[in-house]
Amino acid sequence: MNLKNNLTLGIESTAHTWSVGIVEFSGKVLSLVNDMFIPEKGGIHPILVKEQHLSNFMQIINKALDDASISIKEIDLIAFSKSPGLGPILKIGAHVARMLSQLLGIPIVAVNHCIAHIEIGRFLSKIEDPLTLYVSGGNTIVSAYESGRYQIFGETLDIPIGNLIDSFARDVGIPHPGGPKVEALARESDNYLHLPYVVKGMDLSFSGLYSAAKRLIESKDYENKYTLYDVANSLQETAFAMLTEVTERALAHTGKSEILLTGGVAANKRLQEMIKYISREHAVRFEVVPLKYAGDNGAMIAWTGILRYKSIGGNNISETQINPKERMDQITIPWRS
Amino acid sequence: MSNNIIVEKLIHKGAEASLYYGSWFGKEAIFKKRIPKGYRIEQIDKLLRYNRTLNEAKALIRVKNYGVLVPPVYEIDVENATIVMKYIKGEKLKEILDSLTTSKKVQFLREIGKSIAYLHKNGHIHGDITTSNMILTPTQDLFIVDFGLHDYSDSIEDKSTDLHLFKRVLLSSHGSDFTICFDAFLEGYSEGYGIEKNSECRDILKNILVIETRGRYVKKEDRL
Repeated sequence: MNLKNNLTLGIESTAHTWSVGIVEFSGKVLSLVNDMFIPEKGGIHPILVKEQHLSNFMQIINKALDDASISIKEIDLIAFSKSPGLGPILKIGAHVARMLSQLLGIPIVAVNHCIAHIEIGRFLSKIEDPLTLYVSGGNTIVSAYESGRYQIFGETLDIPIGNLIDSFARDVGIPHPGGPKVEALARESDNYLHLPYVVKGMDLSFSGLYSAAKRLIESKDYENKYTLYDVANSLQETAFAMLTEVTERALAHTGKSEILLTGGVAANKRLQEMIKYISREHAVRFEVVPLKYAGDNGAMIAWTGILRYKSIGGNNISETQINPKERMDQITIPWRS
Repeated sequence: MSNNIIVEKLIHKGAEASLYYGSWFGKEAIFKKRIPKGYRIEQIDKLLRYNRTLNEAKALIRVKNYGVLVPPVYEIDVENATIVMKYIKGEKLKEILDSLTTSKKVQFLREIGKSIAYLHKNGHIHGDITTSNMILTPTQDLFIVDFGLHDYSDSIEDKSTDLHLFKRVLLSSHGSDFTICFDAFLEGYSEGYGIEKNSECRDILKNILVIETRGRYVKKEDRL
């Protein structure tokens, strides 16, 4: 295949965000346009998100092309998120990507969303071989590259950290996304109320923590003996101490000399501070992925597609089935071996 | 601390705790102290170190009743998150296993298998079974140490996971005689689990293979 312009269009479509990034093979991001579903009430309902993405997808693609000042005919490669995520939403990305690939007669690459988070972080932070703490609304994973794969050393056994914070926020009437607001609330308090701390080896469990925090705000003592600020602070302190403990344990276990923090929850300053603390103690480098690229975005999908394409080429159409439950440690990483 | 308690020197620094050598009322002793972590607030830090110290000490005290050799606990100082226990003189099995004769290897691995079965049969999960956590004394007694990740469980899954971790350790650290060692270990384990709980034991051993087929633990080439 003779690529004329070395341009990749990446589509992110795993959850609430439909995002399109146009990235050069060198890694230069020409444009990135996001369309995020914001529920009026409740959480991310897959069917409602699907409706929004279906109505807007072409508009977002066109905006990304306009921002990059290119026409769709100049695109050489399509990359899309095939896993993991919500089935109905993954399907839209897969369908649109296959259609564009066949219509334009260009190769297609199916990308695992979690790996894309790590790869964009490695590239932008110029970090070679990090231990990654990936924290978002859909994932909580401690991972590092070993024997050909991004191995998972620790992960949540139930709900992801972002889900914990968002669900708590929703219960106290904070609209989605609740993370930044909960962080602001927590900053106003130094009071700690005991909450369950559950770490098993390098795995974590947040569901008991969520129930306990919920009980606190439903209790008759709420706004009497303690405030929302105190509960938010206690929730963050407990959850982030758990994350930091498993990250430190994984750091000792893997012997890596860099830590990468990514995913939507990476924006939280208190979490950054804690991870930074252990990185100083162990004298390892610490990087946070820039917020624009830490959350779900099409540029990371495009960049990971480029890495795979440059090393072993694109996927056959038959390999572009979505896989809502795929684990990233099931996938070999040809561009690193 | 009184004159009867002397902490002489740091002998090991782990991620969670430091081990000191010293003496306790004239007896050689190990002081295992959980160190404060500056990244978390004091309330959480204190509670974790307090609870984990207490849990580990309780585990050590309980499992000795099942015929498992563990260091006797002299004192629990929860305020300082420290367990004082008998100093077990000897060598880490990790350092000497590869230099032993095959018949000795088989003998010790069977013994370890039995001890772990005694733990599991009574609802104790060690959590970190490695050859670094086993000490062979000059009198050829095998002690199991470090109950820092100990947990209580009767589930097949937890027991198999415990065994699976040990299998991985044998493979990675003592690969040359892995098959002989692991077979001897399993034999000892089945024997220790006993005839009356034979079917439970079989389920646990079978489940190790199930755990291995999950992508998390094996290279694709090695997967079933």
